[in-house]
Amino acid sequence: MKRRFSETNLNSSSDTFSRIPNPNTTTLTESNPLLSGTQVAGNDTYNNHDFDEVNDYLRSEIFENVKKTFKRNCPDENKLLSIAEDLHNYENDFLKEILEDLKNKEGEHYDFAQQQLNKILGGTPPTITSPLDQFEIISWIPIEIGDLYFSFTNSSLFMLLTLSLVLLLFYFVTKKGGGKLVPNAWQSLVEILYDFVLNLVNEQIGGLSGNVKQKYFPCISVTFTFSLFRNLQGMIPYSFTVTSHFLITLGLSFSLFIGITIVGFQRNGLHFLSFSLPAGVPLPLAPFLVLLELISYCFRALSLGIRLFANMMAGHSLVKILSGFAWTMLCMNNLFYFIGDLGPLFIVLALTGLELGVAISQAHVSTISICIYLNDATNLHQSYLFIIEQKRGTKFTKFTRTGSKKSREKKSILE
Amino acid sequence: MLEGAKSMGAGAATIALAGAAVGIGNVFSSLIHSVARNPSLAKQLFGYAILGFALTEAIALFALMMAFLISFVF
Repeated sequence: MKRRFSETNLNSSSDTFSRIPNPNTTTLTESNPLLSGTQVAGNDTYNNHDFDEVNDYLRSEIFENVKKTFKRNCPDENKLLSIAEDLHNYENDFLKEILEDLKNKEGEHYDFAQQQLNKILGGTPPTITSPLDQFEIISWIPIEIGDLYFSFTNSSLFMLLTLSLVLLLFYFVTKKGGGKLVPNAWQSLVEILYDFVLNLVNEQIGGLSGNVKQKYFPCISVTFTFSLFRNLQGMIPYSFTVTSHFLITLGLSFSLFIGITIVGFQRNGLHFLSFSLPAGVPLPLAPFLVLLELISYCFRALSLGIRLFANMMAGHSLVKILSGFAWTMLCMNNLFYFIGDLGPLFIVLALTGLELGVAISQAHVSTISICIYLNDATNLHQSYLFIIEQKRGTKFTKFTRTGSKKSREKKSILE
Repeated sequence: MLEGAKSMGAGAATIALAGAAVGIGNVFSSLIHSVARNPSLAKQLFGYAILGFALTEAIALFALMMAFLISFVF
């Protein structure tokens, strides 16, 4: 764990700085390695006497140089002196900035210090050490209302980017935006997407008339299009994968799950609860089965979100790790390694292709799962007729025995 | 000590990939069997096989995710 080591090192060094009372001297400890170039950052062997000397030396040197350069423009020495003082103060501000950066452990000076540390310790280059660093959410415009955190982050930027991309694409190929009877490439792309989802919905959600299916189609279509574009957008180097976060995929899947449950109750009323007992189960088994079905039903929400998230995160980390291998081999100054580097490079290339496939297929899979869940919610495993039969008892046995299959069909037609 | 235990845990988490490998192999072997029996269905079956592959792979990635979590997050 190189990174942790370096962090603790920096911690301790900034602690030693803050223990020194005089702010001027504190900043000079930092400036010294910059001046001489040989001192190691965090070396606390200097004493206050040295700081004062260096400070005086700097001040006089600045004054001399200002005098030399601006003598012709202004002969008055007092004015030049004040300029030199301002310069010196400006430098102090700069040094304070460095100190701030080191204390906050962020900013360019902190990065520079870490670079220097790595250079001096002879460690690995200070680039990303963990493959999970690419998923970091950085707040760009911090907005906090009370305890709520509404910051504009890189995640929201890429979400907006996807939204605008999809909306623009769809706008430009529809009638108002200039769609044509004979489609061009973009229009056919959108038409393929539309057709694909329409076929999916028609295939997966059975037992409903076309009109009713149309009601669910827009929601499913939007879900598919957005997960597709977000996944694919994540494959662009240096971009951010929105779907590689729990928060987003689980938010999506839970809202869909709640919506599907509401649809189920709307269509079937309290008979919706019969989904938890498959048809033809002996009564002693019922309690266990109800529990089991209930768990599996609730687990759908989780699995839908986690599947997408895990695919995205694991795939991107894998590409990151392997490209790290390739880069390390490329950086070794040896012809043998350079030739051998082609191996990892091709693996990275193949893996990128696989990731593109996964990005598309995961959007497909999650859409199919949503369709299946919706189908289950509306058609209830087609099992509720059995329970109705049980409840009605002997009164309708004759009818149900002879025509249970027929009545099932009748029910589905009624829907 | 903790670092070592973490590495061992992460390594052990990847054992689960064996199961996923069997699953993926099963999916594609079934595809080959079915296509050999009825080549005219090849296109449709391939779609199902890809779907099955994606689902199986997703399970494998849970194990990979655990390995990552153990080694980088905790």
